Amino acid sequence: MKLKLTIGWLYPELMSTYGDRGNIIVLQKRCHWRGIETEVKNIGIDSTKQDLLSLDLIMMGGAQDTQQEIVAKDLIKKKETLKTIIESGIPGLYICGGFQYLGEYYKTANDNKLPQLGILDMYTENPGGERLIGNIAIENIDLFTKPTTIIGFENHGGRTILGSSIKPLGKVIKGFGSNEASKEEGAIYKNSIGTYFHGPILPKNPMLADYLISKALQVKYKKIIELKTLDDTLEENARLQVAKKLGITI
Amino acid sequence: MNNLIFFLGKALSFVSTRLNLGNGSTWPGHIALKLNKKFVQEVLKKNKLKTVFVVGTNGKTTTSKLIETILEKNNIKIMINSSGANLLSGVASSLIINSDFLGNLKKEVAIFEVDENALSVLSEKIEPDYLIALNLFRDQLDRYGEIDSIAKKWKKTIGKYKNTTLILNADDPQIAFLGLKLKLKTYYFGLSEKSLQTKLIQHGADSILCPNCMTKLNFESYYFSHLGIWDCPNCQLKRPKPDMTSFSYYPLSGTYAIYNTLASVVFSKALGLENAQIEKALKEFKPAFGRQEEIIYKNRKVKIFLSKNPISFNESLDTVNKLNGKNLLFALNDQIPDGLDVSWIWDIDFERLLEKDMNISVCGDRKEDLSLRLKYTDCFNHVFTDLELGITKILGNLDDSETLYILANYSAMLEIRKILTGKKIL
Repeated sequence: MKLKLTIGWLYPELMSTYGDRGNIIVLQKRCHWRGIETEVKNIGIDSTKQDLLSLDLIMMGGAQDTQQEIVAKDLIKKKETLKTIIESGIPGLYICGGFQYLGEYYKTANDNKLPQLGILDMYTENPGGERLIGNIAIENIDLFTKPTTIIGFENHGGRTILGSSIKPLGKVIKGFGSNEASKEEGAIYKNSIGTYFHGPILPKNPMLADYLISKALQVKYKKIIELKTLDDTLEENARLQVAKKLGITI
Repeated sequence: MNNLIFFLGKALSFVSTRLNLGNGSTWPGHIALKLNKKFVQEVLKKNKLKTVFVVGTNGKTTTSKLIETILEKNNIKIMINSSGANLLSGVASSLIINSDFLGNLKKEVAIFEVDENALSVLSEKIEPDYLIALNLFRDQLDRYGEIDSIAKKWKKTIGKYKNTTLILNADDPQIAFLGLKLKLKTYYFGLSEKSLQTKLIQHGADSILCPNCMTKLNFESYYFSHLGIWDCPNCQLKRPKPDMTSFSYYPLSGTYAIYNTLASVVFSKALGLENAQIEKALKEFKPAFGRQEEIIYKNRKVKIFLSKNPISFNESLDTVNKLNGKNLLFALNDQIPDGLDVSWIWDIDFERLLEKDMNISVCGDRKEDLSLRLKYTDCFNHVFTDLELGITKILGNLDDSETLYILANYSAMLEIRKILTGKKIL
């Protein structure tokens, strides 16, 4: 049976500031190298409910403030559909601004409380001071057979605080994380992952790309499909280089 | 007072250069401003210097160098401050360095390359006679911030100018918008060459929204990134008609270099020079260091293209393609001047711009990231840990008609240049 995944890239023109399209490239290629066909659908302001419901895997990147405002207005119209998708276990990767949208609200630096989609039990506040910028490493204990270090670059002004019903993507080993206090980064809810990791996240964390691909196949074909192992030597070299910079071993 | 400052400053910069304590570029300025807060303004006024600020993500140094060449060859005395112009003390220092012990500058025009975030602060102290704004692209987001906020700051700053002449890129919506609704004398430059146009939007186009009303802009065609022929379907804002769209001679290859040339020509004409005088001068142009600079090393030709953000990298690659270059070395560092974030290499359009028969090598602090990026565009590449050995090895495999094209970001470019020329710069 020829396997096929439809990957939805949410607002590629508006929400693609920090190299986040690298995530799309990695998902496509890692499917392609395993003989899994992919189609990338650009989801934008004109897209319909049917477009959204046809997706097997979702990626949404970060953006500048103006672009985020435009997307926020449009997302309200797509809220129920997106909620259905996430609740039904369609895997997704939501980066930075894309991650913040999923929470209850976003409080701006001048105390303006903007309601968000309210799909995830969390909220974000921007205290207005320093942005949290730098290389970062976290440890994830939930998604893989053993504790795994996820490596990337963070650059965000918002601080996201998780509610009790939601798990972080990992514990911070080096770097800031979603907020300075909790020493945690990102969120996992069903098969959706939210994070502040740019870099982009997937090239240097191929196990996370494979996790999303496996979940997407599992949900679509309703069975576990083993993924062929790929040669990740170059990925490992790039991980080691950043780990060395951060002074950690992985 | 200022006479004393000049004397002290000159002495200080002389001593520090002699003792090899650096080129003495900032100390004299610091001391000058301590002794007289209005030092810069007074010196500029006394010498009747015409001041020019050059801003933009890409092309500041090349545009300044083009202007320097045109003016010098036409006997107009010019000074350039390329490093350290972001602080008033840097400006003060350059005034001291360019003057004699008595404080005579003997220059007519002073060009300052001003960083994205420095324009507002510097403009509070000096209103320039000319402002040349080239473009705004995503660049070192961890350091400069997002381009919309830079554009807003610039608009506010320029709104306070009273007599400045603006020279603006009509094809970049955010840059063109800077001059609209103002009473300042404004010249626009932009392209019209049909063969350079494309109907397809490229990845990483930043300013696709109307700078006035935030509606998605309509582009009749693009030159590259978000530079093109644009209009707003909502508020009717549109690309202003350029005063200049082409010139008889371009000293550098590439579409981006046409913009820089047009900017320098528009400025030179505003000063009163004629086309023939400008063209003659441009024929003697030598590139600024690392900007399409050609160096002979081990009997082989090497061309260095500073490539520091997705758009400059794309444009360098496009130019190498037009020159039919086949041997390429990419160098990526993540030191302070480069920005710590290398995410931007995923916004480079390797998928569109690499040819199957290219021989590609990578090096630099983040060579592993580059190599990985190229793997995902199905491009086999050699990884070199030692820059000098790497370059030597690549050149050893070239015959004498071939050129090695090096695309490097800032600190990597300086390192490479040091190897190729055997000397330091700056």
